[in-house]
Amino acid sequence: MLKTRLFILLMMLLSCMQVSATNLKIFKGDDQVPALQLQDLQGKVHNLNDYKGQVVLLQFWATYCPPCRKEMPSMNNLQKKMADVPFKILAVDMGESRAEVDEFISQVKPEFTILMDPEGESIAAWKVYAAPSNFIIDTQGKIRYTLYGGVEWDSPEMVKQLKALVVTQ
Amino acid sequence: MYNLFRILLLSDLIVCKRNFSFNSVCLGFFLVSACFVVNAREVTAFDVTNVSIDVRIFKATGNRLLLGFACDEGRSHAEEQTAAALAAGGVEVWMPDMLSAYMLPNLPSSRHEIPTDALLGLIEKALATGKEVYLIASGKDTELVLRVASVWEDSHEKPLSGAILLFPRLFKAEPVPGVIPEYVDVVGKTKLPLILLEGERTPNRWGVKSLSSQLEIGGSQVVSQLIPSVRGYFFKRPDANRSEEMATAKLPDLIMESLLKLEHMHVKN
Repeated sequence: MLKTRLFILLMMLLSCMQVSATNLKIFKGDDQVPALQLQDLQGKVHNLNDYKGQVVLLQFWATYCPPCRKEMPSMNNLQKKMADVPFKILAVDMGESRAEVDEFISQVKPEFTILMDPEGESIAAWKVYAAPSNFIIDTQGKIRYTLYGGVEWDSPEMVKQLKALVVTQ
Repeated sequence: MYNLFRILLLSDLIVCKRNFSFNSVCLGFFLVSACFVVNAREVTAFDVTNVSIDVRIFKATGNRLLLGFACDEGRSHAEEQTAAALAAGGVEVWMPDMLSAYMLPNLPSSRHEIPTDALLGLIEKALATGKEVYLIASGKDTELVLRVASVWEDSHEKPLSGAILLFPRLFKAEPVPGVIPEYVDVVGKTKLPLILLEGERTPNRWGVKSLSSQLEIGGSQVVSQLIPSVRGYFFKRPDANRSEEMATAKLPDLIMESLLKLEHMHVKN
């Protein structure tokens, strides 16, 4: 009995350590996931619903946000490390001009999908008040984790946690 | 002198993208002129709640007085230049050094250590001049303005005339994506007319609507405005870009415009 309790306690501790290692927070907001339908830089419309069956990293970012600039290379790496599982990064620019975004892209070179939201409609719908704001959406289309602030997306802990989300579906 | 600033600055705006040399001359003239005016300030020590508080006063003959919290002597050169330009336009500006008075470091948490009674005492001194008193603060200091305004309304008959909140930072905790943010307790506790100014190039611009609606709960009329092409704390940034330097030069006009708006809101209330 004592051994069982110790085992449960150990598992709980490990679980907490894993969350703190990646900074991902379990989402405790509304179950209702807001809609998201925006154009990418080539004019193609992306609807979040079309990505059901994949784990989605949905990020809200801006060119004037230093952590956004710093972490994007690690997002490129994350995309490569997640290539063997259904995974998609959608990065929504927070209401800036095409010229501002183009200049940023020429410097930082993100290799994932950038979406434009010139009127900030999705920003309001997703209740985003800071940048970068991240949502991890599971294969069923449910928000599982959120993360505010910059992070090393390609860390082994992060990759493991995101891949675990695919396996557990 | 102030009108001359305004003409030069308007010219500056008109030509800023076409004629860099004229633009630079205008901006340079403003800065040099402002430096002369800065010398017009005086420092007065007020005894409030048994503590001596140094207040930089930029005297003016008009009937408006702008009281700013929580200034830190020696770290607010852009504010000083703005204050000098406002005084030249008839708005008296008081900049109390609340942090030094209470021997506090310039940290966000220090704001909680500034006694409300001291803020109330300074407002009483300001009102004793017979002028209409407006409050102003930026960033986390805006919490002080809301705190003292709320207590003032509960304990004094003469109303304050309004407050300007420059890029207020009033989240109770780090914002969680997907969740409506909680604000510090003083939000929504005053009915003081408020002007909320926010930078266009900051994520906080997306929270202006949410914050305004929370501020209105206390009865305040809130008017918000985005300042184009600038980040938060634009006039304090060591890495300020051209747009932010321009906005800093125009800050006196922006504040003057806000005071006029508040005057109108005050009459309506």
